[in-house]
Amino acid sequence: MEQEAVIGLEIHVELNCATKMFCDCPNDTSDDPNRNTCPICLWFPGAIPRFSAEALEKAALTALGLNCTLQPLSAFDQKVYYYPDLPKGYQLSQAHLPLARNGWLDIVGENGQTKRLRIQKIHMEEDVAKLVHETEERTPISLVDFNRAGVPLIEIVTEPDIKSPYEAMEFVRTLRTQIRYIGTAEGSLEAGTMRMDANISLRPKGTDQLNTKVEVKNMNSIRHVGDAIGHEISRQAAELAKGEPIVLHTRLWDPVKNETVAMRGKFEGPCVPDPAVPPIVLTEAWRNEMQMKLPEMPSVKAERFVGQYRLTREEALMMSAERDLSEYFEAVVQQNVSPRTAAHWIATQLLPAMRERDQGFADMPIPPMRLAGLLAMLEKDEINANATRDVLARLFETEQSPDQIIERYGFRQVSDTNALAALVESVLEANPSAVNDYRNGIAKAAGFLIGQAMQASKGKANPKRIKEILTNKLA
Amino acid sequence: MESDVSIHCNACPAMGSAPLTGKSFAVQHNISVRGWRTEAGTSALKGFVAVENATIVDRLRKADATIVAIDGMSELGFGPDGNAATAVLLQGRADMVLMTDMMGEARITAARTGIFAFKPTHGIVSRYGWIGLAPSMECCSLLARTPQEMACVMGVMAGEDERDFSLYRGEMPDFTSGARNARLIRKIGVARMPLSALSKGEAGAFRKALDRLGAMGLEVRDVDIADQDLFSVVHRVIGSVEASSSCGRYDGVRYGYRTAASMKNWNDMYLQSRGESFGMPLKAYLFQGAYFQFKNYAAFENAARIRARLVHNLEDLLTQVDVLISPTRRGAALKCPNKTVDDIYDECALTLSANVTGLPAVQIPGYVMDGDADLGLQVIGPRLSDARLLSLAVSLSHGT
Ligand SMILES: [Zn+2]
Repeated sequence: MEQEAVIGLEIHVELNCATKMFCDCPNDTSDDPNRNTCPICLWFPGAIPRFSAEALEKAALTALGLNCTLQPLSAFDQKVYYYPDLPKGYQLSQAHLPLARNGWLDIVGENGQTKRLRIQKIHMEEDVAKLVHETEERTPISLVDFNRAGVPLIEIVTEPDIKSPYEAMEFVRTLRTQIRYIGTAEGSLEAGTMRMDANISLRPKGTDQLNTKVEVKNMNSIRHVGDAIGHEISRQAAELAKGEPIVLHTRLWDPVKNETVAMRGKFEGPCVPDPAVPPIVLTEAWRNEMQMKLPEMPSVKAERFVGQYRLTREEALMMSAERDLSEYFEAVVQQNVSPRTAAHWIATQLLPAMRERDQGFADMPIPPMRLAGLLAMLEKDEINANATRDVLARLFETEQSPDQIIERYGFRQVSDTNALAALVESVLEANPSAVNDYRNGIAKAAGFLIGQAMQASKGKANPKRIKEILTNKLA
Repeated sequence: MESDVSIHCNACPAMGSAPLTGKSFAVQHNISVRGWRTEAGTSALKGFVAVENATIVDRLRKADATIVAIDGMSELGFGPDGNAATAVLLQGRADMVLMTDMMGEARITAARTGIFAFKPTHGIVSRYGWIGLAPSMECCSLLARTPQEMACVMGVMAGEDERDFSLYRGEMPDFTSGARNARLIRKIGVARMPLSALSKGEAGAFRKALDRLGAMGLEVRDVDIADQDLFSVVHRVIGSVEASSSCGRYDGVRYGYRTAASMKNWNDMYLQSRGESFGMPLKAYLFQGAYFQFKNYAAFENAARIRARLVHNLEDLLTQVDVLISPTRRGAALKCPNKTVDDIYDECALTLSANVTGLPAVQIPGYVMDGDADLGLQVIGPRLSDARLLSLAVSLSHGT
């Protein structure tokens, strides 16, 4: 019988708050071990958690950006288990009353059609400490770094709507774009600021039965997500083919061996309402205020770009794909560059050049003003497209303005009619057979002659003017 | 009587000056005072020195009070064992004592020695820096020889604290209102049920106290408290679960006691350290809590549901009468040194309803006398009626 995969994701996202979730310690795990700690996040006796307003706000904004409904009442529970990374024997999480429910994200499916994947709930949670395993002499030792204890997280739980590794990867990609848009998290699998588990089961295609699922962890890039899920589907299919039952357990993805490895049985502790953190009551006014604070999301922005800037649908999608890109684009347009020119040059020249240099908008040396200056000269016919490409490449290397580069390297376009006429004259004299072809109606010849003239001008001639002069002379 | 009350209560100076100059407060080792040993009566915190002050310690000191330590308390405050605390009071080494009241410990300790105790409404006094067991049940209580200054101290201690977000955020009881308050209490409700649980002598002593209150012009009325027998079991299930969670932090990793034995992994180190740390009966109590957490969560959920109903019942009753009264304790205190969890719950049978519901309660000596034994008079009022209860205690103290 043909099997289909049923995949649900549980994704932890670290919020980029200034402080931890229940104390004022800096939310910075990169500092020296145990530097960012206090009696609260070390859970000294008598300390009481103090829920951070910033964490609530960022969690709520993220939930709204992922189309979830904020719940009027949510509360923290204690997820009880004993492990050295958990300084109080329980983790504060929202098991019974989550912050938000019923969201969704649209992805582009394998068939090119939009597919809506539902989000079941989003809850808040504190991170646990980090264990570092070392050896001292020959004795293995475990060290605990509490910098991460209490770091604010949200956990996003999807419905089991995902059917393939591709859809899982698209979901994560879309999710990352959305949360970066919202601005509440970095959302990097590679850096560990986003961590995900996948729950995978198989069932006979076309049925709606729910089979035993296997949890896969440790996927540190979007590609790993696809590889790990793909591998787990094949593994389960092979087991089923052999008549082996699937057992509920957790597996770790090993990207080096390209396989999942069974982990020791996971201990699931109980979740008890926490008596110290007050329940979170969100008034309608507050929820509306958050909705107002939510930045314009990609799909809305793309629509606006079509309407306001007359971009094509494709250009609009491209320019709105990432928040920093969309802001860059609009900043360039604000300098009176035509929107379609800006979109074209950003998409075809700037982005590839940045990729080649492995740069993002934050560390890229061409602020919108500089690019706008260059494109303005192109639009005024002061330089041609070839020169624009060259100048753009040089903008990455020097701090000079586009104007200075053009002067220094002589990129300024020659539009002077007399000079160009002389140039065309000499090209015509040197290529009598092409002139003949042209007169006999062979269209290719015109292109050849213009090319020769451009070459003679070392690329500086205005190709439009050359064409005009040539047409006149041979008419 | 009214003039006496106003003199005493109005003696509380305006806030902002130093209302507690010259007053000393004895605290048990479960209240954090920076630099002091804060072992909370448990080996789990052996050698632990507080790194910051509890909020109430800061507030009392700011009001110019002196803090002194009491040696000896029950393990993490579980169960009445306040002999050291009352000795400090009776010997005059402190004017008042601060003690955790998780199921009636402060009120029962006071009743045994014939002094006053006050348990405020849950959530009006900061718990920050207070090492306890069951956050939803316990609160900081006061013991004193006379009730006059209690209102003043409550005025200093109560109120919002940016270190304890679980506190009530509305208007606080007005602890300076004095005599106006006492007159608000007219109708006194007496629950039928606990009387039947008292011995003949105890019941007789309580009835005499009721007659005396009636003679003072208070209207005494019999009332029924629905499901009264459930208070104890609800307290036990929820209290033990919270205690089990609260004690999870004593793992020997960051502070406190760690076993001297060499263990082969962290899990064994935990088990051994925790096993060596806790004594009986607390250890049994923690086991019970873990049982409900891990094996019978449904029972915990039921207890939480029933608790909400019990709170509703009692609050409803307190709209028909102004306060509810009962003896504070039954008969002689248990002499047996190895008390069990059952013994402790038996001992606190009359007091723990105020902890389950979070209502304020005051213990008044000298009214319920069974021969020489003072069983104590417990008065429970509605939520936030703290100031009224204290005023009543003052007027009743003049009736003795
Ligand atoms: Zn901290």
